[in-house]
Amino acid sequence: MTTVHITGSMLLQLVVSGLLAGGLYALVALGLSLIFGVMRVINVAHGTLLMLGAYTTYWLFTLTGLNPFVSLVVSMPVLFVVGVVLQRLFVHRVVEAPELSSLLLTFGISIFIANVAMLAWSADYRSVEFLTGSFLLGPIALSKPRLVSFVVALGLTGLAFLFLHRTKTGKAIRATSQHRDVAQVCGINVRRIDLITFGLGAGLAGAGGSLVSVMFAVYPEMGQVYVFKSFLVIVLGGAGNYPGAFFGGLLLGLVEGLASLFLTAQLSEVIAYVLLVIVLLVRPTGLLGGRT
Amino acid sequence: MTARAGVLAFLLVAVAGLAVVPLFASGYHVTFIIQVFMWMALAGSWNLISGFTGYVSFGHVAFFGVGAYTGALLITKAGWHWLPAGVAGAAPAAALALVIGYPCLRLKGPYFAIAMLGLNEVVRALVSYFEGFTGGGSGLSLPPILSIAPVYYAMGGTAAAVTLLTYRIITSQFGLRLLSIREDEVAAEVMGINTARLKLYAFLLSAAFPGIVGGFYAWYASHVEPLSVFPLLTTITMIIMCLFGGKGTVFGPVLGAGLLSVFQELVWARFLFVHQAIFGALIVGVVLLIPRGILGVLQQRYQLPRSI
Repeated sequence: MTTVHITGSMLLQLVVSGLLAGGLYALVALGLSLIFGVMRVINVAHGTLLMLGAYTTYWLFTLTGLNPFVSLVVSMPVLFVVGVVLQRLFVHRVVEAPELSSLLLTFGISIFIANVAMLAWSADYRSVEFLTGSFLLGPIALSKPRLVSFVVALGLTGLAFLFLHRTKTGKAIRATSQHRDVAQVCGINVRRIDLITFGLGAGLAGAGGSLVSVMFAVYPEMGQVYVFKSFLVIVLGGAGNYPGAFFGGLLLGLVEGLASLFLTAQLSEVIAYVLLVIVLLVRPTGLLGGRT
Repeated sequence: MTARAGVLAFLLVAVAGLAVVPLFASGYHVTFIIQVFMWMALAGSWNLISGFTGYVSFGHVAFFGVGAYTGALLITKAGWHWLPAGVAGAAPAAALALVIGYPCLRLKGPYFAIAMLGLNEVVRALVSYFEGFTGGGSGLSLPPILSIAPVYYAMGGTAAAVTLLTYRIITSQFGLRLLSIREDEVAAEVMGINTARLKLYAFLLSAAFPGIVGGFYAWYASHVEPLSVFPLLTTITMIIMCLFGGKGTVFGPVLGAGLLSVFQELVWARFLFVHQAIFGALIVGVVLLIPRGILGVLQQRYQLPRSI
């Protein structure tokens, strides 16, 4: 290995690109975290829903030329409906069941959807070439699609927090995730909250997919890594801690960005994995503590 | 005749029948049965951790792949005979299980399942990265095998060993304790069961056998490469075979592997994505409609002993 001289601007560049990626991780993880918080279900199909969001944007862009960021207006509601349907048909049957059932069920759903997508759209890599190039900010180059995606992801995460804290439904979701039975006793229709939460989680995954599509290739198995990474973000932030998930996302992006100094891209997933194992060993309740 | 004697007689006949198959059957049939043995051993291994404790392993193929590389390396670089090289695949597979299982199985909840979801990609990335040792993306080639009959017996022996071990476990205190973890882990702990340790033991056993199967597979396939020994489909297949036949039973994985292998061979193998989509739908269907699997349903309906 040749020696690399690490300069200050290089380091800054990596920190910035890492944080940009982290904003997206936070958005996707928030969806997974909401569903887990309310139903104790880890949605293994989360990445597959992200893939559906990415294809929605891809097709709208390719067929009608719709701006990918505007297509969020379509991809989020579409995925919300997909989520509600999945919850209504399948997931609600395993909410109270042992974990094994919900894990396997969503795993099966994920395999099914991904392979139907392969049959329908082939396994080819596709791309949405919308924004290209970078803004130059002194010594740092900010890739345009990443920057815009980051801002949008941040905005959506903010809106989701506002929804959770300011609206009656949002408060009901938080109450249900704090204590399901007590929430029910207080008159909250938890079945309905389950439906809304799964729809919302799916919608956030779909939004993540739309944003990913302007940066990376779109293909049926693109979502796989995001289930694992989103879960890692939740563990970093502390399970049930929604703001924690946000910082967890930024932290994961940062670590991956800095790791690329020393390792090839091939091993970036290994870094995320080692991080998970270390956190589980040392501080399983998350770096920011558990549920707040 | 008791059910137990009946099963025993049936098994003796089946084993004797299978033992003489390579003497007269065509190469095609022997190859097919080797595949079935392989799936029986893999589905049975998955059953040891996930069927018994309820902790879902989404990355079991990683152990198979690690075993395959170990076998291939010992044969090509160290000049070992294929039989001990295949069996040696158990060691690194169990070691890997220890590294992942120790931090993840101490915790309750989905940590283990998610860690296993990422494991396969990580191991595959590492294997591809250390090219000098593993041949990178192009893999390692082994000498061609001259006779498949020995592999047939080795694979069959492994499948039988997994099944026998499952029987020994299910009729032991260890097995009852594992099942109590699946039913109610907190209650099991209150009863004084060291659940973290037992889960880890079950996981080590469940990882060792795919390592052996992988080692034999390397010799049998004469070639290993990251794409051929770490496919997600292998994990999916062992999961659905175990679920379909009946998780937490002795012969469920055997039954599931036998039935689904036949379907796979006859109908689905020609259409890869359709095949995987069917497996996905089957997992959903089994979880929702027959969570105990075929054998579980039969056990309940005919009040068969749990040790079948």
